[in-house]
This record gives sequence, C-alpha cells and structure tokens, in this order.
Amino acid sequence: MLDFYRRLYRAIRPSSGDDEAARTDGGVVSDGSAADPVEPDRDATARLKSALDRRFGSDFMESSIFWLPPFLLMGLFVYGAVIWNLLISLTDYQRFENAPDYSNLDFEMYTRALADSGFIDAAVNTLILLILFTAGTLAVGLLLAILIDRGIRFENSFRTIYLLPMSLSFVVTAQFWLWIYNYNNGIANSVIGTFGLGPVSWLGNQDIVLYAVIFALMWQFSGYAMVVYLAGLRAIPREHYEAAKVDGASTLKMYWRVIIPQLKGATISAAVVLMVFGMKAFDFLYSLAGGYRPPNGADILATKMVREAYANLNWAYGSAIAIVLFAMALGVIGPYLVYEYRRDNL
Amino acid sequence: MSDGEIRTDGGTTSTTARLRRNLDQLTVEDVGLYVVLAFAAAFYLVPIESGLVTSFKTGIAIVETAPFAPPGPSGLTLEKWQTAIDALLRGMGNSLLYAVPATVISAFVGSITAYGLTIPTWKKSYKAVVLMLIIAGIFIPYQAVLVPLTQFWSQWAQLDQVLSFVWALGIDNDYVGIIELVITHVAYGIPICTLLFRTYYKTMSEEMIESARLDGATLRRVYRRIVLPLSGPMFAVVLIYQFTQIWNDLLFTLVIVSTESSPAAPVVLILAGLGSSLEGQDFALRMAGAFFAALPTLAVYIFFGEEFAEGVAA
Amino acid sequence: MATLELDSITKTFQDGDEEIVAVDDVSLSIDDGEFLVVVGPSGCGKSTTLRMVAGLETITAGTLSIDNRVVNDVKSQDRDIAMVFQSYALYPHMSVRQNMSFGLEESTDLPDDEINQMVSETGEMLGISNLLDRKPSDLSGGQQQRVALGRAIVRDPEVFLMDEPLSNLDAKLRAEMRTELQRLQNDLGVTTVYVTHDQTEAMTMGDRIAILDGGELQQIATPLECYHEPANRFVASFLGEPSMNFFDVTLEGDRLVGDAFEYPIDEGVRADLGDATDLVLGIRPEAVELVDEDGDHEFETTVDVVEPMGDENTVYLHFDPDADPETAATLVATIDGFNRVSEGDTVTARIPEDAIHLFDRNTGEALHNRSMENAADQINL
Repeated sequence: MLDFYRRLYRAIRPSSGDDEAARTDGGVVSDGSAADPVEPDRDATARLKSALDRRFGSDFMESSIFWLPPFLLMGLFVYGAVIWNLLISLTDYQRFENAPDYSNLDFEMYTRALADSGFIDAAVNTLILLILFTAGTLAVGLLLAILIDRGIRFENSFRTIYLLPMSLSFVVTAQFWLWIYNYNNGIANSVIGTFGLGPVSWLGNQDIVLYAVIFALMWQFSGYAMVVYLAGLRAIPREHYEAAKVDGASTLKMYWRVIIPQLKGATISAAVVLMVFGMKAFDFLYSLAGGYRPPNGADILATKMVREAYANLNWAYGSAIAIVLFAMALGVIGPYLVYEYRRDNL
Repeated sequence: MSDGEIRTDGGTTSTTARLRRNLDQLTVEDVGLYVVLAFAAAFYLVPIESGLVTSFKTGIAIVETAPFAPPGPSGLTLEKWQTAIDALLRGMGNSLLYAVPATVISAFVGSITAYGLTIPTWKKSYKAVVLMLIIAGIFIPYQAVLVPLTQFWSQWAQLDQVLSFVWALGIDNDYVGIIELVITHVAYGIPICTLLFRTYYKTMSEEMIESARLDGATLRRVYRRIVLPLSGPMFAVVLIYQFTQIWNDLLFTLVIVSTESSPAAPVVLILAGLGSSLEGQDFALRMAGAFFAALPTLAVYIFFGEEFAEGVAA
Repeated sequence: MATLELDSITKTFQDGDEEIVAVDDVSLSIDDGEFLVVVGPSGCGKSTTLRMVAGLETITAGTLSIDNRVVNDVKSQDRDIAMVFQSYALYPHMSVRQNMSFGLEESTDLPDDEINQMVSETGEMLGISNLLDRKPSDLSGGQQQRVALGRAIVRDPEVFLMDEPLSNLDAKLRAEMRTELQRLQNDLGVTTVYVTHDQTEAMTMGDRIAILDGGELQQIATPLECYHEPANRFVASFLGEPSMNFFDVTLEGDRLVGDAFEYPIDEGVRADLGDATDLVLGIRPEAVELVDEDGDHEFETTVDVVEPMGDENTVYLHFDPDADPETAATLVATIDGFNRVSEGDTVTARIPEDAIHLFDRNTGEALHNRSMENAADQINL
C-alpha cells in the first residue's frame, strides 16, 4: 500500500517543481496571471517559447492558451482552496472573527477531533455508509444490468425508469423518503406491516437510521451503476457468451466465471464515483432533517463538518474535519488515477 | 447441442431471436425475468408515484388513504400545489439565473480545455499530470473547500462593493450571491466538463486534425472551424448533465446564499425548509414542492434521457 | 515545385525505458517533379518517414530539406506541402467546396472569388464538379478519394505526400485510380512521395521506389531495377508475386550444392561471388522454363500442385518424387496458361543460368543478379 502512494507521489511530483504549480499554490491571491513575465526583448521570448516547446512538445505554447487559464481557475478553486483550508485548520479561527490568525499554527483541532466522540461516530458512520452503500449499489446495478442485457423488450423504458432517481436532486428525493419512512403513514411501515412486522421508527431509531439512509441512497444511485455496467457488458463480444455456452457452463457459472471478471474496469470506476457520491451525501441528510443536524445516528463527516463550521461557527474545527474527509477521498481517488494512468486511460 | 443453440439465441438481441421468442411460448425463465424487472421498476417508481399522489391530497386524505393510492374525489386538492408554487416560484427564477449561465459557460470552458489537452501534441507525461489534477478535481469532496470559499467571497473578493453601481439600479444586493454561484459552479464544473469533452475528442479522427494543420490552420482555427462545429452531440450531453448537477446542488447555495428568506434564494434552498413547521410536517406541501422544484430536471431527463445516461456513464 | 532531401533521417520513440528505432538513418534524394513510391511491409517505418516529411512527427536525427532549405524545425503548415490520408480525413461538417477551399483560406490571403474559381477548376479537372455542394457522407468511397485529392491539388503545394491513399478502395476502383493518379501527377509535375504496402502500386506508379524494412532503407531505384537487380534478399522476396524461389546452396568449386540439386556455374558468375561460400540461389518463377531436353541446368521434377490463373499457371514442383510434400524443397514456376500439366506429372524444369540471383546467406546481400539486358531480352521474347 505504501509503495502505491510512493508511486503516486512520484507521478505527481514533476509539477511541484515548476512555476505553474507554484502559481496554483499561491493562487489564493486572485491575481495569478501576473506571474507570467513579459519579456521586452522579442528574441528572448521566441527563444523561451521554442525552449519550452522542445521540453514539452511542439504544440505546448500554442495550446496553453486553451487549457492553462481554465486549469488555473480550477486549480485556484480546488487546490488553492484545499491548501488554504489546511492552513485554516491549523489556526483557532472561530466565531465572528473576520479572518483566521495565521501566526500561531498547531494541530490542536486534530487532537480535539480525536477526543470528540461525535467526530469518531461520524467517521465510523462515514466508513459504514461508504462500504455498504458502494457494495450494495454495485450489486443491485450489476443485477439490473445483467437482466436488462438479456435481450428483453422495452429495454429502453426499463432503463429510463431505473435511472430516473439519479436525475433528481437530493433535496427532492429526501422529501420522498421522509414520507416513505413516516412512522404513521409511510409506505415502509405499511409494507412490513403486511408481514406482521413493525411499525418501525426508521428515522428515529439510532440503530436503524443509517441503514435507512443507505437504502434510500441505493435507490437513487443503483441506476447509475446499472448504466456503467451495461456499457461494460455491451463491450464484451457476444462470442464470449456463446463460447461459454458451448463449453457447457450454466448461466450462473457463465456470468460468474466469464462475464463478471471482464467488468473489473467498470466496477472500479463506478465504485470510485459512488464512494465520492457517498461522501457528498450531505445534501440528502440536510434536507431530511431540514437543518444542519441530521437524525441521531446518521451523522457523517460531511454533515458534521458543515454543522461545526456554519452552525457552530467553529471554522477551524470544521476545516480540520474537512481535511480528514479530503484525505479519505484522496485515498480512494489517488490509486484510481494511477490505475487509469497505467492503463493509458486518462 | 441443440439445447445449447436455443440458449444462445436467448442471449442475443437480434431481431430474429426476438421474433422467435414472441412466437414461441414464453418460458418460465422469461416470465420470471419480466416479473423481476417489473418489480424493480415498481421499486424505483413507487417513491416518486406516492409523492405525486400525496401532493394532491388533503390533510384528512393523507391519514386515511394508503400512501401510494390516489386520493378520492373528496380528498383531492390543488391547494398544496398553489402554496408550493407561491413559495418556490421566485426560487425557480433565481435558480435559472445562475444555473443557465453557469451551465453554458462551464460547458464551453470544458470544451476549450479538453481541446487544448487532447488534440495538440505535447508530451504525454506532462499532459498526464495536468489531466490527473483536473480529474481529481471531479472527486474532491466540496466540504474540503467550503471554509476557504466562504472566506474568499466574503473577505477577499468583495464583489458586493465592486458591483455597487448595480445595486444602485434597485436590484437587491443579495443577488451578488447569484454571480458568486455562477463563478463557483463554473470553476468546479471545469473538471467534469473537460473529462466529458475529452472522451469525445479522443475519438475524433487524428488524420482529420493533421490534415487541417497541414492546410495551414492554427490551433485556434482548427478549434473554431473543425472541432467546435463537430462538438454538437457532446455539447448536448454536457449541457444536460451540468444543468442537472447545478440545479440540484444544495451545498454551495447553502454557504453562498445561506438563508432561504434571501430574495436571491435558489429553489433547492427554499425547498429544504418547506413544509416543516412547529406543528409538524405538511407532507402534501413537501411533495408538491419537491415535484415543482424537480420539474426542470425531470423535463430535461424525459426529453434528453439518452444524453443524460451518456453523461452519467462517462 | 521542389526537390526533397532526407539526409540520415532517424526517428526513435520512447516506450517506457525502451527506445524503439522506427526509422534508422534513411537518406533519400527526390528530384523536382519526381514520383517516389515508398514501399515496405507494415511497421517498416514508411508512414513514420512520410509523417516526418509532413512535420507531423519530430525528427530525432538527420536533416530534412525542401528545395535546399532545412525544414526540421519548420511547422507543418509552413512547409508548403499537401497530404492525402488513408482515411481521406475530409471535414464531415463541410461541403466538398468548403473542404477544398479550407486550405486556401487558411494558408493564403486570396479573395473568396479567386478561391472559388480555383476550387471549381480543380473540381472540373477531377470530374467532381457536380459534387461540390454535397457533404462527404453523401459520397461514395471513390468520390471521397477524389475530393481528398482535389483538396491537396487545389493548394498547388511544393510537395504532395500520400499515405496509402488507395487502400480503402475496392480492387477495380483502385486500378482505375492508380492510372488516374499517375496521369495527374504527370500533368501537374509536383514532387510526390507516395507510401504504400502494395507492391503493384509500387511497381506501376513510381518513377523510383524506395523499399524500407525494419526502419532501414533497403534499396532505392527504378521499379525494374529493384525487380531485376535487387540489392538484397529482402527486396528480391518482397517484390514479385508469386515470390522468388530461394534455395540454400553451398559453393563447391564451380558447383552450387543444395539439398535437392547441384547447379554448375560459369566463370563470370563465380567471379561475382568472391570468398562467400554459404549462398542462397534465387530464381523468379517466370524465369523457370519447362523443357523437353536434358542438361546441367535442367532438373527432373514432379508436379505437386497446379494453380490455374487463366492466362498463366502457377505450378509447384518437387525435385524428389518420394519426398514428403510438406517439407520438400519446392520450385514455383509460372508457365503459359495453355501449357497443360497436371498433378503427379514428371516434367523437366530449366533454371537458366542468366536468370539466377545469388545472395550471401549471412548478410542477405545480393552478390550476383541477372543482367538487365538479359531480362529485357526475355521480356521481348
């Protein structure tokens, strides 16, 4: 694992030396473009230009007008902000102070987090949510994709229906699930009621609420997993199915041993996207609760971070939680990007 | 052997196989397949359907009828929709005000960025670094940038003061939030838009681009005259995907506009607080509001489902 | 119009830690108005060479000059060249007229009506005037090919570069376009470099052909020279269908001793060989004759397979009637279509001494070739 990160570091490192990244880092100052020195001497600029072209490739200078400004804007908002956020997390910034005091940096907020049982709970909940939500959604998506790929009629209609929730806002779907999980009149209780169970307080019971939320998120995103898997299935030549059949494999065996192993790429990219969606589940929980505090037992890092910063005005503490969340995300994305780079898929 | 052949047909999508299946009696397996698919469809539709019927119910009907059953004639009311529309209409306008420009700009910028990173030739290893940084930007949890973002807009970039001449025209200065939202969404939309366009540009004929360069066209002219006119299909995908994402996003509106009472409050912000009061939750109102707020994205999805699916899969 | 000079051109690609040499020290000099065909098997570096001339690939080492001007660092749009691609690379969203005007619009300051005029004239020359307002997707493959040509011609460049431009056409159209391209090039007199893997195109179209293998130039000469006086065994085997017969032989005194036969050679041939004793004897199938007489260069053979081609027959002969047909040395001969032989017949095959080629078995280099005069005599017969 460590080796992996070392390789990732090596892959990213070349940028840290040149002035481009330096500009991004310093990019918090909104005027980033001034860093490009304008040579009065025409000859020197031409020389510089051809030197850069030789180093980076023949179209480097001419193409930079296209990608460099957007890249800098994005770099400023993404990486500049993350670094700034890291700085803020080392201060004691809180309440109605206008700006953080950067003169006294320490890790106090991180030690505070480790001592905060609310933080530990949220971190654990985040992990549970990530793992269960990702695994469950992938499984449902794969099943749906396989069923739809069996050459059924009305394929398009089924696909459209399964993907429909994905087009809705978390704010909207939260309203639906609030109603479904309603104690007195909700569908969830009437369904289990027909089996003589319940009623259950889905959102009130601390031990259940997280799983209820995961179920709702699976409802919203399994259509996405299905679309990704369907694209993967369609890329497998028909002959593979036929060869497996001729070899005498049962349908189940065929999928398990021949088809599913070929969906590795689809699984990895879908899993990464789903985990990131899971980390962003803030919108859903905020709308479910109608405020910063999600139902007891369903607090995750994403909600806790926003609550600490924007409701409790513990800006530095919120930033520290955000850095932990960012590190978690990086742990997922970093290896994924290296994997894609290796496959020449960037 | 013959058993194998029949099964093989069952796995193909060819029209002959379909025809034969229609003519033959349905096998137990097939029936099972359709039952499962129908159940799955119901699973995805029921929350939406029950929301829809509930939005037309009176308070009494909500308690008396099953959640997914339509209201009887006596329990039918349009009052909740009326209330929801009254509450959300201004939010809809505000949402359009930033979602449309942010979508268009980020799609266009994404196209330019992807062009610069795909078509021109420069060293692959350097390109990969830029691309990695951009693609990683798609997956960053926005929580990690929120506090600096708030700082940036409130302390550093004092758009509020720069635009004072606009407020002098009688426009509420809360609308600075709309402009901040446009810039924010464009900046964070660049990565995904770039990635989507890049997958498309990678499939463009290299020989065609080389031919244009040999014809004497500069990179800018190649973009203007060859690549941009051929980007139509991908623009459809990106515009639809981006619009849905921006319209649906709550987090940025929450930290930039912050209060639902603001005249510039977007629809998602108002909806998040709609129908909950001290007396309890008005579900019919919530459902009506949810549907009303979702109308633009639903319309986009129904008319451009293919493009949406393509954007999602990429 | 221009001369084109490649001086020790080399191209290496970096693949991980490995360095791959795609083009190795190739030197070519192309005269003003010449039609040079670059030919070789796939992966021989011929396309890379062409792309370096076009400026689409950087040159690792060596110099490239157009009209004595070194253009290594000149961008492709400033080299005044036009290229026809294998896929035609037409702009799908533009009409034929727009496709053809594009280059003039981008590279010159000509007024619109003049551009229009030039496009119309070129269209007429190529017989595509009636297609000018159509989109490429509405055209057949042959028509697209003409548009791609027209797009290059209308720019009136110093050099034409063509990268397998006919390979996407069906056989009949390809033959037609071959003649037409030659005629056009003749009329326009523009220096042309034409890359192909098809030896028929190479033999019929070029003033000279350059044969590449493994990134190295094997021979550059007129088509007939390459065919009859190949520089080495690769060139000999690459040109000609069916391919030249090769037999490993050892020189013993004035005789060549092979597994299946012994072949006496005279002093003149012997003198060409120098010290080499490990040799390869080559003979073109059409040089093999079936005769009714005996002699030192006549061999009794058994007919294994006959492939009738209409005007001629290709026959596969074995020296030893009892040998396993899978492994035995086979002599392929092309004979007149009316000469009836059938499988199992015993026939006498003559390998004329004035038609043999001898190669060094280790280096592949040609030590002795048939003389061109003799070849010409035979063709006249």
